[in-house]
Amino acid sequence: MIRTNQTPDGQPKIGVYICHCGMNIAGQVGVEEVTAFASSLPNVVVARHYKFMCSDPGQELIQADIAERGVNRVVVASCSPLLHEATFRQACAAAGLNPFCFQMANIREQVSWVTADKDHATSKAKALVAAAARRVALHQPLERRRVAVRRETLVVGAGIAGIEAALRIADSGKKVYLVERDSSIGGHMAKFDKTFPTLDCAACILTPKMVRVARHPNVELVTLAEVDEVSGYVGNFTVKLRRRARYVTGACTGCGQCEEVCPCVQPNQFEMGRSQRKAIYRNFPQAVPNWFVIDYGACSGCRLCEDVCEAGAIDHEQEDEVEEIQVGTIVLATGFKTFDPRILPQYGYGRYENVYTSLEVERMVNASGPTGGQVLLADGSEPKSVAIIHCVGSRDKKTNPWCSKVCCMYSLKLAHLVKQRTGAEVYNFYIDMRTPGKGYEEFYDRLLEEGVQFVRGRVADITDWPMTEAEEGKLVVRAEDSLIGVTRRIPVDMVILSVGLEPQLDAHQMRKKFNISCSSEGWFLERHPKLAPVATFTDGVWIAGACQGPKDIPETVAQAGAAASEAIALMDKGHVEIEPNTVEIDEEKCSGCKTCLGMCPYHAISRDDQKGVAVVNQAMCKGCGTCAAACPSGAIRQHLFTDEEIYQEIEGVLSYV
Amino acid sequence: MAGLEIQRKVKYQEELDLEFPRQVAAMPGAADLNRCIQCGTCSATCPVSVYMDPTPRRLVAMTRAGFKEEVLQSSTIWLCASCYSCTVECPKGIKITDIMYALKRRAIEEGVYPRWLPIPVLAREFFRKVRQTGRSNEGQIATAMILKTNPLKLLRQIPLGLKLLWKGRMSLLTERMSGDREQLQDLLDYVDRQNHQAAPGTEA
Repeated sequence: MIRTNQTPDGQPKIGVYICHCGMNIAGQVGVEEVTAFASSLPNVVVARHYKFMCSDPGQELIQADIAERGVNRVVVASCSPLLHEATFRQACAAAGLNPFCFQMANIREQVSWVTADKDHATSKAKALVAAAARRVALHQPLERRRVAVRRETLVVGAGIAGIEAALRIADSGKKVYLVERDSSIGGHMAKFDKTFPTLDCAACILTPKMVRVARHPNVELVTLAEVDEVSGYVGNFTVKLRRRARYVTGACTGCGQCEEVCPCVQPNQFEMGRSQRKAIYRNFPQAVPNWFVIDYGACSGCRLCEDVCEAGAIDHEQEDEVEEIQVGTIVLATGFKTFDPRILPQYGYGRYENVYTSLEVERMVNASGPTGGQVLLADGSEPKSVAIIHCVGSRDKKTNPWCSKVCCMYSLKLAHLVKQRTGAEVYNFYIDMRTPGKGYEEFYDRLLEEGVQFVRGRVADITDWPMTEAEEGKLVVRAEDSLIGVTRRIPVDMVILSVGLEPQLDAHQMRKKFNISCSSEGWFLERHPKLAPVATFTDGVWIAGACQGPKDIPETVAQAGAAASEAIALMDKGHVEIEPNTVEIDEEKCSGCKTCLGMCPYHAISRDDQKGVAVVNQAMCKGCGTCAAACPSGAIRQHLFTDEEIYQEIEGVLSYV
Repeated sequence: MAGLEIQRKVKYQEELDLEFPRQVAAMPGAADLNRCIQCGTCSATCPVSVYMDPTPRRLVAMTRAGFKEEVLQSSTIWLCASCYSCTVECPKGIKITDIMYALKRRAIEEGVYPRWLPIPVLAREFFRKVRQTGRSNEGQIATAMILKTNPLKLLRQIPLGLKLLWKGRMSLLTERMSGDREQLQDLLDYVDRQNHQAAPGTEA
């Protein structure tokens, strides 16, 4: 693919091509004047202007000049290199010129679109063309490198996103390590009873996938484990996994006898502490793997469990283990956490026993939950009136400014389920009703028809202080009914807080481990919000599901599929091409001071202790140039950004303005 | 500040009648009351909403929330010109004009409409005339309405009445349908009873 071109006399012969971009550039820049100016520059053998350089005839102009006039350096003055650098490099390569003997001058985004005066625009375009022509004369032919990609994937997080991604990749014949922090896979979805808007049973659609992923020959399920450390680069990551001790081996049959004899009782975290569990437990009956686990902090060490276990699966001597695995690609599907409403004292969560979070009610309406599917007040009776408060911890600068996207829909679902199971009068307090999605608005319409009450207004507070007789012994919800224009006080038996979605508490640590970016809130950052929604700025690492931002199950599954297919595509291709704008170390000049080691954001530089010099891993170097700028000995040279090239560019800008 | 009036305004749930929206929704044409998404198209398209307080959109919200007193005493239901614009434009297909009629009927039954309003009187006279004779008679209905609401106005209407008579647009003769009027009366009485059954809690 790479052919080097040197003129017989070793002199650069530069072709300069000015693009009109229709009227985008030509409307503001005097393209003919710039062309005439370009032809007067040193080493320029041909200068042309054309309506659309990126079109086939435009590219053919360049190729003809390379073939017929011996042009060996090319400058195109057009749009941003982000858009068409690849196009023109390919055009050069097709004509037999090394694609790196090319330089682009951006006279659209940086000139015609942002310069009001036509004369100024023209002289600015000239300066940029001069800079490009001066630096391109120094360009040397470079070669892209190829690095092999391993055919194993690490999927972090085994909620619906991780399970889906793991299944897709495993089905394509690659090995998948599916790592989950909890004792069972399933994530948040395993807690739900029904899913909106179809109201199909969450477990019925999730558990088959859980079982399939656990039995898949290409999937190694690693529960109770976390990622300690990641090193390496796209195609060749080394990951340290910390497996926490389960104290129960795979011999466990899930019979549950141990749980019966265990004397230690703890609040059940899976039920948000609303019920109790033993020190030896499993989250739910369909847990995968269906092995029990001992919460060692709660265990008294009585070993009664050991006595009753017929399978001999209890192993109190187990210890945490660190395992190292090699993978080529990584999919992060670490999910979300729900907002803690204790931060908003006006809603009384934790103070009034009949104020619940939506997730607690999800468990309550679930047949395997703490109340066996009944909606009950703290005293065990059924509520006659229920308020559902939307946007708790969402759309509020004091908590989280974003819309959590799923709450309107799950609130409608809970309203339906609560009304169906108790016949209670249900009030939804909302700011805006947001139901975008297939069948979502129709679901809202159904709820309206069912006679659920909707009050448009954000609830100010919930109080047990009665103002009238009818309010005694009730929780009074105070809000402005902004559609009617009156402040209302509505007494209810139960309040459900529709809590928003937040990044996981350790999102920032995870971000650092995998060397990806986060928004300031902690959502993992995609490479492009529209066109690269599952890729990250680190090659070989993809994101899927709610770790990237609030989203519902269909969207999460779609993202998981997208992330999986990108990972599969890379592994099937088998190699990555590395851009050659990397750095090179002049071992003669390097003093081995290690300044560059700490500067490199990609951990691409190490020190060869025998030689006493720095060594760059070309596959990991992203060509950011930080090290080259920092090196006190000037020993680091960056391809396409050598000191001489940069100085010539500066000279070009300054001398022709 | 002169004329600044400070009022305490809060709505306690016990002041509301949660049965009211259910009764209204059970009346003919009002079944879709609950499907309203409060978009306001009805108010925007209504040619007389500029005089209404509350607007049709708000009236539906109030009906649904059980603000029975405010709804039945509002001018909105009486100002409705029955042009059906709202019903045509409503994105949820709610028959808003029919809801207006349902509310008017309810207000008449509960006797809470303003006495000076000719509209309910006209409705009642129209019904009475049709039930009696099987035919509508504009001259007699209008005369009866004016006599019952603003008798002095009758004098002013005399010249217009004479003109209408002269041109054959109005008749003093009472037209009657041929055949068995009692059958028609039975029919109308049956519908009336059905309406009251469909909306329990309303007086006959």
